[in-house]
Formats: sequence, structure tokens, C-alpha cells
Amino acid sequence: MEALTNVLFGTLRVSTPLLLAGMAVLLSQQINMLNIAIEGLMLAGAFSAVVVGAFLGNVWLGLLASMLFAMLFTLIFALFVIDLKANLIVAGLALNILAGGLLAYLLVVWFNTRGVYSPGTLDKLPLITIPIIDQIPFLGAVFSGHGVLTYVSWLSVIFTSLLLYRTPLGTHMRAVGEHKEAAETAGIPVRRVQYTALLIGGAMAGLAGAQLAIGDLTLFSENMTNGRGFIAMAAVFFGAARPGLTALGCLLFGLFDALQIRLQIGTGIPPQLPQMLPYLIVVGTLTMIAVRRKLKGTSI
Amino acid sequence: MRGISKMFPGVIANDRIDFSVERGTIHALVGENGAGKSTLMRILYGLYRPDEGEIFIEGKKAAIRNPQDAIRLGIGMVHQEFQLVPSLTVAENIVLGNEPLKSIWVDRKAEKESIIKLSKRFGLHVEQDLPIREVPVGVQQRVEILKLLYRKAQLLILDEPTAVLTPQEVDGLFDVLKRLVTEGHTIIFITHKLGEVMDICDKATVLRHGKLIGTVNVADSSSTELARMMVGEEVLRPSEERHPASKEAKLILDDISARGDRGLFALKHISFKVNAGEVVGIAGVEGNGQSELVEVLSGLREYEGMITLASVDLKTESIRFRRENGMAIIPESRKTQGLNLLGKVSENLIVNKYYQKPYSAKTGVLSWKRITEFAKELIVKYDIRADGPDAVAGTLSGGNAQKIILARELSSKPVALIAAHPTRGLDIAATQFVHHEILHMRAENVAVLIISADLDELITLSDRILVLFEGRIVGEVDARTVTHAQLGLLMAGLTDAVS
Amino acid sequence: MGAIMMTLSGKNAMEAYRVLFGSALGSKTAIANTLLASTPLIFAGLGAAIAFRAGVFNVGVEGSIYIGAFTSAWVGFTFVNLPGYFLVPLALLAAAITGGLWCYFPGVLKARLDVDEIVSTIMLNYVAVLFTSYLVNYPFRLPGLANAMSAEVAPQARLARLSPPSQMNISFLIAVAAAIILAFVVKHMRLGFELRTVGDNPLFARWSGMPVPKVIESVMFISGLFGGLAGAGQALGVNYRFIAGFSPGYAFTGIAIALLARNSPIGTLIAALLFGILRSGSSTMEIFTDVPRDLITVLEATVIFFAALEFSFGWLKRRRRGSAH
Repeated sequence: MEALTNVLFGTLRVSTPLLLAGMAVLLSQQINMLNIAIEGLMLAGAFSAVVVGAFLGNVWLGLLASMLFAMLFTLIFALFVIDLKANLIVAGLALNILAGGLLAYLLVVWFNTRGVYSPGTLDKLPLITIPIIDQIPFLGAVFSGHGVLTYVSWLSVIFTSLLLYRTPLGTHMRAVGEHKEAAETAGIPVRRVQYTALLIGGAMAGLAGAQLAIGDLTLFSENMTNGRGFIAMAAVFFGAARPGLTALGCLLFGLFDALQIRLQIGTGIPPQLPQMLPYLIVVGTLTMIAVRRKLKGTSI
Repeated sequence: MRGISKMFPGVIANDRIDFSVERGTIHALVGENGAGKSTLMRILYGLYRPDEGEIFIEGKKAAIRNPQDAIRLGIGMVHQEFQLVPSLTVAENIVLGNEPLKSIWVDRKAEKESIIKLSKRFGLHVEQDLPIREVPVGVQQRVEILKLLYRKAQLLILDEPTAVLTPQEVDGLFDVLKRLVTEGHTIIFITHKLGEVMDICDKATVLRHGKLIGTVNVADSSSTELARMMVGEEVLRPSEERHPASKEAKLILDDISARGDRGLFALKHISFKVNAGEVVGIAGVEGNGQSELVEVLSGLREYEGMITLASVDLKTESIRFRRENGMAIIPESRKTQGLNLLGKVSENLIVNKYYQKPYSAKTGVLSWKRITEFAKELIVKYDIRADGPDAVAGTLSGGNAQKIILARELSSKPVALIAAHPTRGLDIAATQFVHHEILHMRAENVAVLIISADLDELITLSDRILVLFEGRIVGEVDARTVTHAQLGLLMAGLTDAVS
Repeated sequence: MGAIMMTLSGKNAMEAYRVLFGSALGSKTAIANTLLASTPLIFAGLGAAIAFRAGVFNVGVEGSIYIGAFTSAWVGFTFVNLPGYFLVPLALLAAAITGGLWCYFPGVLKARLDVDEIVSTIMLNYVAVLFTSYLVNYPFRLPGLANAMSAEVAPQARLARLSPPSQMNISFLIAVAAAIILAFVVKHMRLGFELRTVGDNPLFARWSGMPVPKVIESVMFISGLFGGLAGAGQALGVNYRFIAGFSPGYAFTGIAIALLARNSPIGTLIAALLFGILRSGSSTMEIFTDVPRDLITVLEATVIFFAALEFSFGWLKRRRRGSAH
């Protein structure tokens, strides 16, 4: 029982950045501008959370900075892909490389350190105990006592869902993503909608990075995202860019991650095998969709 | 609309056209492909700016710079390609861009009510909560009309609205249109189907080659008169005597059906033969299955039924096999299907032979020397005006680009030649060259199938003409005796009119 | 861009660049080290270039690098009794084939089922990194070592050095040869003509009867093959073993190089040498001028951004139109 609660608690913890990043990618996918730059944006968020948080001595300001800094990076990406019509994938890769290089550069120039920056003076984001649930035996141990961003990540799913399906802006995003011409003829300001979707996603990506840097730990390391952005992207493909299913994908992939740690200790199952699953599941899902499309299709 | 002109590079799409519509009428705008109907309406809807001319609405001069202006003035247009978002629901599509709000949320209740009100008033019933991709085309069209009505459009432009509908859906649409008119709306109905004009329109304006031919009261006119206005006067018959075609069928289509991109059948049970040394023309307004027919023949589209080329069943054979066994194809799109505009002239000329000896060794190494020699030969033989075989194909004029295709296809000693719109966009000299080459193929005992929207071309070249309408062959006529009017009626789907 | 950044952070840009080029090209050993640094970039660039030329956006060369590196190392430490003249070609061949297959599979999915190759290859990159990491952590774990790496390859499996003490080895020559061969294939071979045509206008290629799916599959195989060789070059020529996570993203730099060279094989060779200079010079630059070597990464990113612009006006638009069919 304790093992189970531990795994589930761990799942929610490691799913936090996945959910936030997943919603960011989801929004970009909804406007048909898949944000490959997600890794770089998360890294930017992690970096600024630690640096600004430590500099100002306030972890909340660090949190705010993570959003703003990631949005700034997003703005570069958006400028290139929306206004300059740069290729989406190449620009995304470029932003990832830019973020990696720039942040490493700044670490050396500002802090004279390579790879890792750990200010030591910074507190983690606080953990939150949920009053009533806390008292319920099993539920309390699983759902209560997480970092604040874990709860924010759940809210981000609800937020994304409401945004997309309940507000005009969300409808416009879906319309722009699926049939830009139709959106234009209906008088929707396509460019503004695209910028908005990417920037909201950017803020969430920043938070995802902040969770890694000041939620789980209080340090920044060069490769701290470690492919999580792409796992989140995998979840988006798994969930066909729908908030609920994508969140489910994030939790599932989070579960794999939490399990692999336990499995490794308990049963000796190599951690890499469950870690590979999200990526394989996505390739499998895409193939299945394609096979179905082919069976339905008419032209050769 | 008064004195409207619009030029595109090389074409006058609208030449000083006057066009007026009375409130509360259904006004047909009739003409063949390329007559300038769509251009005129796109100007009215603000998608194009006219080079000359003015637009008046209820006596007042109107400046329409973009569709938003048009919408504000109460003008709405349903395009042939629907502008709907497949995964959004019917309701979401109708209100898209003008959603009713309740604080920051979309007010679904108000949305629903206003749509119900509109659909009751005009008899346009729709299931509001289904995503567009799950509703039939006829309903999608209703959604488009509701979209306009929701935006308070008074003047509705419908571009070939019946092209995608089943007969039952057409009846439904006509009921709706009548209802709209009795409610005080005005409708401009772009079409080439004269039967429909006679059925529901009050007036009809005919355009031909960008010029206004005339406006008639439908009640005082006849479909024969309209057909004549639409297709124009007779051309001179070719005087030269042709040797008769042989009786040997080279290309046989037996009960061919095929689905179009939308998943509906675009070709329905088509059967015909083309004999050696015979030219068979396919007439018809575009979009009635011509593209699909060419794709089926060339092997790019799946089909039911049997196609035989010189007694070989092609069903399971690849595109390359078909070409190797004597199928030559001039595709309808020179730039995307017929040529690689970024490639050299020589590469474009060799693309159906490069892998054969002597152009390619067993090792897979190409002999550019041989290829260049071959290309030079063809350049001379077909009089292709290019800076040699290494010139980039995209730099050539339309006529010379088409000559590359002709040279490539005709030099491979075909058994059958499929030519889709072979002279589209070409000047007179190039057109004559293409015609001469096609007749030369006929003399060489090739079975020739020509698909064209140009009736003069079909009459000049063909022995027989088949008319394709909504995926079926609705008539076969002798090219030596047929008149434009007869063809026009068949193309408009009026099979009874021709006996 | 680089100069602006250095000036902004109070460094002497001219001095830094002088040191950078000086240390990359200043001596025989420096030049050899530059060529060494260029080698994986040449391979990776060629892998990207050939795929792009055919209109296939293969991001999966990184995966092939890992697969190829492991395979070559495995051959190298398993068949220790084979003589070098046999073992080295065998190891390289094995790397080329497994690397090629790694990209061939998403190629098949693309060609036959129209599965987006960008997504599938990104995903498979991670699979390759994790799978090879698993291999050296478990079945091929070397006891007593903290780092995840395989056993050392047999001495005769090491690629011969061309200019000791630099590690620069024959894989550089293979890379140069590969660029020349590829240039020949693209220009003078049947496959080259086919892949150029498919890249220029896939619809036209289909209409003219070219075996488009086969061409895409072959191209993906060749693209991965170069990745495999890049990996083998590092495993047999530099590390002498497989090390988990050894690639700093060679394939992504390779994409930048291919874009910069507009997918020309010889251009790719030249651009890769340029990037090699930056890479090998940047470490020395850091020591002597305390301008961090990461500046070079920022420079690379800038180049890619502008390549992304160039790119969007070129063949990718046509490719979209073609595959939208």
C-alpha cells in the first residue's frame, strides 16, 4: 500500500512539468504550429526561475520571471514562424540550440560556472497541504502535499480545455489551426490568434521549467529538461491534441517514469525500457492512425 | 455593377461588364469555364479589386475593398470550396468570428436560439451539435447559407451550388432559395446548368470570354437560346479529308467507376472504346469527372471496372508499366504534373526513359551524354525554344513548356495518347502546333483521347465526342455534324434536348 | 551576432576571433584536430542533405549515430580475434547498415502510409539514445565503471591515426570520400536523378511513373547510413568504445550545415569544415580569452534561424503542396 501511494504521489510529481509543457505544445498544435522549441522554452524557464529567484531573493518572483523569460523566447520563435514564415521545425530546433548555448554562455559569464548553477540561498516553492483531503487516508497521501505548481498544472489542463472549447478565442484558435482560409473569410484576426496561442503556451512552458528548477530542486543544470519537452509532445500526439487525453498521456508517461525508479530498485528492470515507451507508443499510434486512414482512403 | 474590367497577366477576365440585380430575384450568371463569372463575383465580394468600373448598391456607390466590407454591405458568398472548419460543430461554424458572448464565454444558449430562429424562418434544418466533417455536403451548404444569414447578408452569391449535391439535395436547395427570395433576399446563382436556370431563376446574364453577351428574362427565353449565347457561334469545320479510323480498339474502358477526393463517386459506370487512328473527344464542364478519368487512365487513382490498353488489362499495373506499354499522357496541369519546373529541359525530356538503355547503364550510372544528345534531337524536332538542353524548364514560355511534354510523350511511340486540356493557356501558334502534332498521332494510328473545355478544339480534332456530365457519359455525337448548341445542352445536363 | 554578444558581455570580440581561428588552424596538430572535429559533422550534414534534397525532413540521423556507434563498438569488442584489415571494414559496414535501417523504418512509414517523418524520427531519436544506454548499462555493462560505457574495442579495431598525436583518423578521409561519392550519385546516378525529381516535385515524379515510395525509402536508408558512419567514427576513432549519450547533437548541427550548403554534398563538406573550425577553436578561445565556448552554439543557432527563413521559401513549400495531395 505504501509502495502504491509512493508511486502515485511520484507520478503526480513527475507529471507536473509534463502537463504544463503538454498544454503548451497542445496549444501550438491546435493552431497547427507545432512547437518543437518546447525544450528550449522549458530550459529558459528553469534558468530564469533560479537566477531571478536567487538574485531578488524571492522564489515567487523567480516563478514570474520563468514565465516572462520563456514568453520572450517564444516571441522570437513566433516572429520567425508567423511573420517571417520560417520553417517551423528548423526554427524550433534553432531555438532549442540557441537556448542551450545562450544559457550555458550566461552561466559562465555571470556565475563563472559550467553546467550547473546552484545558488544555495534560494528556497523551493512551498508545498501545499489540502485541508480536508489531507485527512483522508489514501487520498491524502497521494493528492496532498505537492508543490504549488503541481496544482497549477492540473489547473492548466482545465484552463486549456475551457479556453479551447468555451471561449471565442479558443474556437478561433481551432479554426485557424484547422482551416486558416475559412478563419480568414470569417474575419478572424489570424496572426493575433497565432501569437496569443504561442505566448500562452510559452508561459506554461516557462512554468514547466520552473517546476524542474525551483519546484523539485533549487538549481539549474544545462540538461535538466532531459527530453521532457518531447515526452510532453509525445503525449500531445498520443492524446490527439485534446486536453483531457493529452493530460492522460502525460500522467501515463509520468507513471512510467515513477515506476521505472521503483522497478529498478525492486525488480531490476532497466529504467531505459519504460523510458522508451512514450516514444514508441507515439510512433505506434501514428502508424495505426495512418493504417486506418489508408484503409479508408480512395486514391492510391 | 457598371463597366467592370479586370485583367490578369495575359487575359482579360472581365471586359467592361454591366451587371445589375433586382432585389427579391434569383439571377443566374451563366457561362462556360473561364467566361469570367467567378471573377466578376469575386470583385463584388471584395476578393479582387476591379481595374475599372464601379459598384452601386441601392443607388449608392459602394467601395468594397475586402470581404469584410462586402459583409457589412449585406453581401455574402458561398464559395465552391466550402469555407468550413471540419472539426468544429455546425453551430460553431455558423457563428465563427461573431460568437454571442456571456461575460468571457461563448453563449451557447443564445447561439443555439438564434440559429434555430434562422433555420425555422428559412427552412434550413441542421443538426447543430454535429461536427462539420460528419454532415453530408448538402447540409454543409446549408451551414454556409446560414452563416451568411447569421451575418445578416441580403444579397447571396452562390458559386455553382449544385455541383456537389445529389438531385434530392438540389431540390431541397431550390426550396430554400425560393423561400429566401420571398423573405426579401436576393440571390445571384452562378451556374452552367441551363436546366436549373430555367427551373428557378428569374433572369439570366450570360458571359463569354470575359464579355457580357446579354441579360434575358428567363420566362421569355429558352434553354436553346441560352446555350447558343453561352457557347457562341459555329467555327469553320476542318476541310481536310481524314482517312477513316481503323476498327481495332486500342483503349477500352469497361464499366469504370471511381471515387473522387471527397469520397463520392466522380465516375459512374463509364464505358467506351478508342480505336487506333481515331480521336475521341471528351466534352463537359470541368469538375464532371474529367480529372478523375485522366488519373484512372494513368494509374494514379483506384477504380472499379476494367481498362485494357492494346489487350492488356491495366488493373494491377503500375504507372510505369502503363507508360512502357504505350500510354502517353499530357496531364492537365503543365506546371505541377507535366513538368519539373526546377529541372533541366533534358531531365524533363528523359523522365520516362532515363532508367532504360542507352541512357542508363546496368550500374545505375546515367549517361548524360546520351541524354543530352536525345534532348537536342527533340529540341530540334519539336522546335522547343530554349537555351539548350541544360536550360531550366521553369524559364520557358507556356508554349515551349508544353512542347517539352509533347516531345517526351509523343516520341515514345505511344499506342494511346491521353491529352487533357492540351492547349490551355497557349497562344495561337502554339495551339496550332499542338493540334498538328495530335493529328499527326492520329495519322500514325495512335488511339487519341482528348479532354478539353474548348469546344472548337474538340470539334476540330475529334472524330467522335463524348459528353461527360456528373461522372456519366450522357451523350455521344459525331464531331463532323454536331453543333455548339447541341454540345452546350448536353454539357448542361439536358440530354432530352438532343435526340 | 557573436561579436555583439561578446561586446555586450565585455569581451574583446576581435581578440576572441583571432584566438579562435589561430587555435583551430595555427599548427599541424591544430589543423588535424579541426578535421577531427569536422568528421562527424560532415557525415551528419550529408545525412541531412540527401534527405532534404529528396524533400524528406529526416530529423532521425541522431538516432542512427547512436545505433551505428554502438554496433561498430560491439563488432570491435566482440570479434577481437579478427585481423584489423577485416575487423575495421566489418565494424564500419555494420554501423552503416544498422544506422541506415534505423532511418529506413520511418522512411517506410512515410512512403507507404504517409506517417509524418518529422515526428516519427524525433521520437525514434530518443528511443535510440535510451536503447543504447540500456545496452551499455545492462547486457554490455562494464563492471567497475561508474560511467555507462561499453568495453574498449580491440586495438586493431581502432581507426588509424593520420597525424599523431592528434586523434584525427581515416574516418575523416571516409567522410570526404562519402561527400564526393554522394555528389556523384546525386548528379550522375539513376537514384540521384530520381531523388532530385521527387524533391523538386513529387507529384510530377508520380505522374512520370517514378517509384516514389522506393526512392523515399532508399534515401532514408542512405541518410541513416551516414549517421551510422558518424557514430562509428566517434566510437572507433575517438572514444574506442561506446559511451552512453556521447553525441552533443551532431545531427542537429548537421541539419544546420545541410541547410547552409543548400543540400549540396560538396557544399556540406565545406560548411562542415567551417563548423569544425568553430568547434575546435572555441575550447582554446575559452581558455585564452575567457569567452565561453558556448558562444559558438549561439552562433550555430543564429545560422539555423536564418537557414529556416531561406528554407521556407524554397522546396519545403512545394513539398507541402505535394504531400497535401
